[in-house]
Amino acid sequence: MTEMKIALVGNPNVGKSTVFNRLTGLRQKVGNYPGITVEKKTGSFTYRQIRYHVIDLPGAYGIHPSSLDEEIVYDVLVDKTNPNHPELVVVVGDPFNLKRAVFLYQQIREMGLPAIFVINMIDEADRSGTSIDVGKLEKLLKTKVILTDARSGKGIDQLKASLEFQPNGYAPSFAVPEEIAMPLQQVKDQTAPANDYIAWLYLSQRQNKHLSDHQAQELSDIRRAHGLNCHRLQIQEALARHASLEKDLAGVVRDPAKKKQYTTERADRVLTHPVWGYVLFFALLLLIFQAIYTWSGPFMDGIENAFAWLASRAGERLPEGPINGLITDGIIAGIGGIVIFIPQIAILFIFISLMEESGYMSRVVYLMDRWLRPFGLSGKSAVPLMSGAACAIPAVMSARTIENDKERLITILVTPFMTCSARLPIYIVLIGLVIPEHKVWGLDLQGLVLFGMYVLGILAALGSAWVLKQLMKSNYKSYLILEMPTYKYPVARNVVFNVWDKTKGFVVGAGKIILAISVILWVLGSFGVSERFTHAEDIVRSENPGISEVDFENEVQSQKLEYSFLGTIGRVIEPVIEPLGYDWKMGIGLISSFAAREVFVSTMATVYSLGETDDELTIRQRMAAEINPNTGKPAYNFASGISLLLFYAFAMQCMSTIAVVRRETNSWKWTFIQLAFMTGIAYIAALVAYQLLK
Amino acid sequence: MSLHKSINHLRKGETATIVGYRSDDIPIKIYEMGLLPGVTLTKKQQLPFNGPVYLRIQDNPNAIALRESEADLILIESMQKT
Repeated sequence: MTEMKIALVGNPNVGKSTVFNRLTGLRQKVGNYPGITVEKKTGSFTYRQIRYHVIDLPGAYGIHPSSLDEEIVYDVLVDKTNPNHPELVVVVGDPFNLKRAVFLYQQIREMGLPAIFVINMIDEADRSGTSIDVGKLEKLLKTKVILTDARSGKGIDQLKASLEFQPNGYAPSFAVPEEIAMPLQQVKDQTAPANDYIAWLYLSQRQNKHLSDHQAQELSDIRRAHGLNCHRLQIQEALARHASLEKDLAGVVRDPAKKKQYTTERADRVLTHPVWGYVLFFALLLLIFQAIYTWSGPFMDGIENAFAWLASRAGERLPEGPINGLITDGIIAGIGGIVIFIPQIAILFIFISLMEESGYMSRVVYLMDRWLRPFGLSGKSAVPLMSGAACAIPAVMSARTIENDKERLITILVTPFMTCSARLPIYIVLIGLVIPEHKVWGLDLQGLVLFGMYVLGILAALGSAWVLKQLMKSNYKSYLILEMPTYKYPVARNVVFNVWDKTKGFVVGAGKIILAISVILWVLGSFGVSERFTHAEDIVRSENPGISEVDFENEVQSQKLEYSFLGTIGRVIEPVIEPLGYDWKMGIGLISSFAAREVFVSTMATVYSLGETDDELTIRQRMAAEINPNTGKPAYNFASGISLLLFYAFAMQCMSTIAVVRRETNSWKWTFIQLAFMTGIAYIAALVAYQLLK
Repeated sequence: MSLHKSINHLRKGETATIVGYRSDDIPIKIYEMGLLPGVTLTKKQQLPFNGPVYLRIQDNPNAIALRESEADLILIESMQKT
């Protein structure tokens, strides 16, 4: 069978992803581009004996990148050796912004790539009375023009049939200005580009990642010698193209004679209203918050019961002993601790996905810009910050749409302060243990404290953004040039695909870590080399003559844990955490939490069950019964509980987030600064709280 | 001088035509979004405390938002209200 690589390219908000979903259906996967975490969506399908591999490139307005997203498009299209370099480009536009889409199409054709042209959302054009002269446009673009409405699937078959089309006879519409002829010749001599336009792109782009360092140096030397500025060259091209497009496209699009008022405009009078816009936005946030807690309740109870049943069955079947504890308390409880959050994460992603699909998200950016600016953030930071309430990993990745380097970096650095769903199990368990079940003005005190933890996360994020803004300098001007598309009914399949991808990613990623940590902890906790570990029975017997058989077993178990590898690690760090009110067992929980916060509860379960013989208690009962050997008080009392809550609110304890931040910022320096900054605040806050409250 | 008015001088509901830019050094996105000389636009609203401006370009159902700092870069000639 013949195979063919095609790429979808288009302006944002033209329904490109819907076209992609229509073409590939469920046969798609989300991966990353090598070296960076910009999401790469690929899929495949077979049509008339040809296997098509489709890549959905990020939305771009032109080939000259102004954000990380747009850089991908340039990198993939300009570099013939790039593994994603397509054999055919499908340029997707919409009827109302044809000029913009043709602009991008021309740039792609002039790079020497074959392309066909799709006008999506044609139904909206029909409804508003806009008509397009396809014949004329095909003659102008020298290619096939296909009209589609991807939402209903109209035109998709025609698009598939057109993929075999081989366009030719294209004449460049942009002539490199006379005065650039000399530097351009030098670029051609130095880098051997495929054609004049590629040479022009080399000259007018600050970054050409696929060229060697030597060539990049040559390019900047040529620019300097001729006093050329990348930005000016790009503007020169944009103006020249727009001037000729104005003439060429005249008569291709016919607008309706009678103007009708757009529904979107009427909706925006309320939704982006200086007062009602904010009221509705905060009402929506409340609804999301409410939904996450109430709608997920029955699902979470079901999952909890299922895992409790599984753990008790496994506990009965397996022989008594530490392996039993590993499987029931470590692995099953640990995996259950993740699975239980699927309903909440899915609900949050459903809302975020609906907001993006409907076009409301760009209104959120518009509404929030003014209020985030004083903190060194942009309106576009609102999306990562909101997503951070689910999980910092996709949230950090979503910051890539922010054009300004400084704003993007600050957003990435502060997003992990937002209360992610992994903090939730710890908050819930700790609040249940140390906050009394009072009512305050008719409100549940435990619920209020939980709400307070969310507020604390937001304050920490904004506060540290403000500090970073003071410390950091930026050479780039910050700007907001935001397109707000028409409101649309969300396409169900797009939402489902999105929620499925994100939820699966979270569960699989966290699940692996929990499994690994449970096993490592169990091994470390079950072996040791010290005298008191290997000869625990003899030592206990000689130190406590006449001890009863049950007490003897317990004493041996707890001494073995204390002198195992795990116990040694815990006791080594004990001096550091003792001022915060924790004992060495909790120290083990803290250490393993640096892999992922959500393992705290399952770690404590493993640790406590290793040191005991009674397997009947639940995790919470064990935690409540635990006595801190240093203070003689319950390990989870009011002071140490508050101290732990604060520590988990601020500390950077998630390997996956650290890895994503490293990749997204491409800097170990900022990754370490973030780790040290967050963990430092956590330590100080926990220390102060414990010392004041104890 | 009327030639040197920018989008920031527009009142809510006022319509104007872009005639140029205040400097050469403006974000390329302004061009790519279609905020080009000759284009007619209407200021629909603005958020309080010098918040962003909500613009509508003629014959385009999508709206565009700019901060005041970007709006200031785009020079306009205002048209008679019809």
